[in-house]
Amino acid sequence: MTRAPSALVVVDAGAATTAVALLGRPRDRWRLLGSLAVPAGAPEADLVAVLAARVAGADPELAEAVGLADGQQLGDLPRLASRSAPLRTLAVLGASRRAVALLEQVAARTGWRVQGASTESHDPREMTELALRADVSAVLVAAGDPPGPDERAALDDLASLVAAVARRRPELRVILGGSLRGRQAWTESLGDDPGGDPGRIVEAPSVGSRREPDEGLRSILDGLLDDPRDGRRALRAAVASLADLLDRRIELFEVGHDGGARVVAAPGAAGDDPASSSIVTARGALVPPDPGDALVDQVLGWTAGSQDRHRMGDRLRDLRSVPWADATGDGARLRLAAARAALTRIAAATPELAELPPADVTIVTGGAFAAAPPAAVALALADTVRRTGATQVATDPARLLGPIGTIEDPAERRSLLADVAADLLVPLGSMVLAAGLGARRDDAPVGRLLLEHGGETTRHELAAGELAFLDLPPGTPATATFEFRETARLGRRTRHVAVPVSGGIAGLLVDLRDIPLRLPDRRDRRRAVLGSWAGLAWPGDDR
Amino acid sequence: MSDPTGTTRAAASEPAARGPVAGAAGAVASGLSLVRGRPVVSGPVEVAFAIRPGDRPLVAIGQAVVRGTPLADLVRDARTAVTAGPADPASAVPGDFWSAPAARVGAAETAERGELLFRSGGRWRIGTGEHPEPLEAPFAGIVADVRPGIAIRLRAPARAVAGREVLAGPSSGRLEIIAARDGEVRASEIDVGGAGAVLVVGAHIDAEAITRARAVGVRGIVVAALGVKERRDVLASERRGQAAVHGLPPFAILVLDGAGRQSIASPVMAVLERLAGRTVAIVGDPPCLVIDDSGVELPPPESDLVRVVAGPLAGAEGRWAGLAGPHRFPGGVQLEAGWVRFAGRPPIAIPIGELERFT
Repeated sequence: MTRAPSALVVVDAGAATTAVALLGRPRDRWRLLGSLAVPAGAPEADLVAVLAARVAGADPELAEAVGLADGQQLGDLPRLASRSAPLRTLAVLGASRRAVALLEQVAARTGWRVQGASTESHDPREMTELALRADVSAVLVAAGDPPGPDERAALDDLASLVAAVARRRPELRVILGGSLRGRQAWTESLGDDPGGDPGRIVEAPSVGSRREPDEGLRSILDGLLDDPRDGRRALRAAVASLADLLDRRIELFEVGHDGGARVVAAPGAAGDDPASSSIVTARGALVPPDPGDALVDQVLGWTAGSQDRHRMGDRLRDLRSVPWADATGDGARLRLAAARAALTRIAAATPELAELPPADVTIVTGGAFAAAPPAAVALALADTVRRTGATQVATDPARLLGPIGTIEDPAERRSLLADVAADLLVPLGSMVLAAGLGARRDDAPVGRLLLEHGGETTRHELAAGELAFLDLPPGTPATATFEFRETARLGRRTRHVAVPVSGGIAGLLVDLRDIPLRLPDRRDRRRAVLGSWAGLAWPGDDR
Repeated sequence: MSDPTGTTRAAASEPAARGPVAGAAGAVASGLSLVRGRPVVSGPVEVAFAIRPGDRPLVAIGQAVVRGTPLADLVRDARTAVTAGPADPASAVPGDFWSAPAARVGAAETAERGELLFRSGGRWRIGTGEHPEPLEAPFAGIVADVRPGIAIRLRAPARAVAGREVLAGPSSGRLEIIAARDGEVRASEIDVGGAGAVLVVGAHIDAEAITRARAVGVRGIVVAALGVKERRDVLASERRGQAAVHGLPPFAILVLDGAGRQSIASPVMAVLERLAGRTVAIVGDPPCLVIDDSGVELPPPESDLVRVVAGPLAGAEGRWAGLAGPHRFPGGVQLEAGWVRFAGRPPIAIPIGELERFT
């Protein structure tokens, strides 16, 4: 008789680090026994061996019960794995700057790294050079249907150029949209046998206006990156199952080495499947490739310390090339400044997700947050994703969500999540954002907060523009009652509201700062403000 | 080696006695295999030389080349020209190099030769330029692939020291060491004696020294770190040089580690010292120093040597003393750590991510 496995290796092979977790089923449910993350490239078997030895050292009986006591069998353990797909570059070509900008706007909301060129800004040799570049995996070329007046003159040249490149690079994927498809210049230049897989040339919708939905083109671009083991894409399935399981609206933000993701999921009602939406964007990377001045400015804008632009550029380049290093001390602060910039880019790329009802639970995940102090992670989220309301904040430090999301069968996925959900999510605390308090100066009293938990009530006077962390032990359910002097926005407009919150390592974050956040333009004042907020979140003796 | 005294790292407590790490099994048992490995010398090599539309390949697949063999003519001021092109458009293929028949030169055509890009409206667009310069093979090998407008690939049974990035290049020359591995070179230290050489300049070099090196005919620089400012200056200088009438001789900078200042790793420096006086090449894809002298014996790295790549101890080297497990570090972060013994002192815990070992 075959014995059901009692231990499972879960691997998330990221672009920067590899995380390995051991799950065990000593009795009737799976439990997280331990996890470990080290720079990518470390032998997975060695990571498993180290973890198994730790489990055996800490709890020999448990190790025996799940079959980890005998190291010889580690290689035979079942394995659930996800990986980060390598970053791929998409050349976006168009017959006008306007058309290219529209296409780039759509492509930026996918996992592609985007490089654009138009016939208005580049000469044909430069555009050919871009499309021929070895790191370019696909070319997106499209025009309006019918073409706009700024496109018409160059459409034949553009079609011929891309067709010639497609003939020269039989491995190149071509996404051809709009009025280009039927043009004689395209068919003549491509010839009867352009080589390569005929399916590599894909038709796409026309370029629409900025207001039109982009799902058609975006799904085609995402489809070209489809990888059933891609951990970032698998997050959507995992979060949807988790939302259904916990019967909570869940939002997830992920910042990784080569991209980021935002997922929103709601539980299914009346037996329906859970609803979910997600955007994966290469612009959500902690430090995108070849960091330039714009990125340096973005990160400097979130830095409380004084650094010149060149030094910041050096550090960002090193963070890009050695992303697993420099994670302590000042490096940890730099990492979270870069993460704030990345979260801001993700939020900017996902406006439609921000319009959905607020989440009950917000999960922050990715290597950028893996080792940072919980309060600093919660503050980074509050700084960048500013919506009124209350949400519980949690992390997935063992990086289980990606691998679990690769399980194709929803029932099986849900079953495993049901076992490990309590181990998987580490509660950082809760976050309450309110706005529209009406006070004209900072520190003016605007109301009070009564935090009731375990029969105790903590009273806190609220001040305009306030940011405060209130102690609330992990796992402690509480009710936060806000009594404002004037009507405020806290999910809805109100003067008196009670919201359920729960504790975490960071406690309860009360944020009455502006929405959107306003920071001084002068760098020294800005740094002082950021420094005062950071002082609440970072351990004081560890600067 | 940096003195770890006064470090802000986690407080050290002496781990259980551990012997030196020996072999792969020992590396696994001690946790050393969790530290990212950095190959000091690898081989054989296959190198890509990027060419742009308009550049003309001069070699064919399978052709053996020696150092100095022209691989391609690179056009310095590449541009697009519109021309009638081949008389028989059906037989012309984009990517082919095309020259106008002699009778047509000087007539209505403005550009008489170049790479066929595409045909539109009955006219060809070609990539062309006025000042071709040779791209010479920096080491001997066999041409593995030629893709006009994209790259020429050269394969060789040579060895290579990998770097992080190469600026400009490719280039080749005799290797000269003018600074210690943690040293710094200023412009006054570079003279015409360095002409034709690839200089190892230690931890850092400033932009002025790079400009001077370029001016006196130095062929390459090997440096541990190059900051964004110096990088920008070098690239701007290269662009100016390319735009000049006479161009510039080949020159390349191999950056071994990154942008933040640190010394050259001692196993890498030991290899460079062994290569002093021999001809080496710097190539960009992959970024490395190519050693095609098979006669030179290169020192292998010690298996338990680890180097700190970031943080306050960046550049320090020590001996691996085992896994330390999760540790709390400055900034309130908790990370997997390893014990490292610096200069025989009691070991201290360093995050595994901030270490590299040498293979």
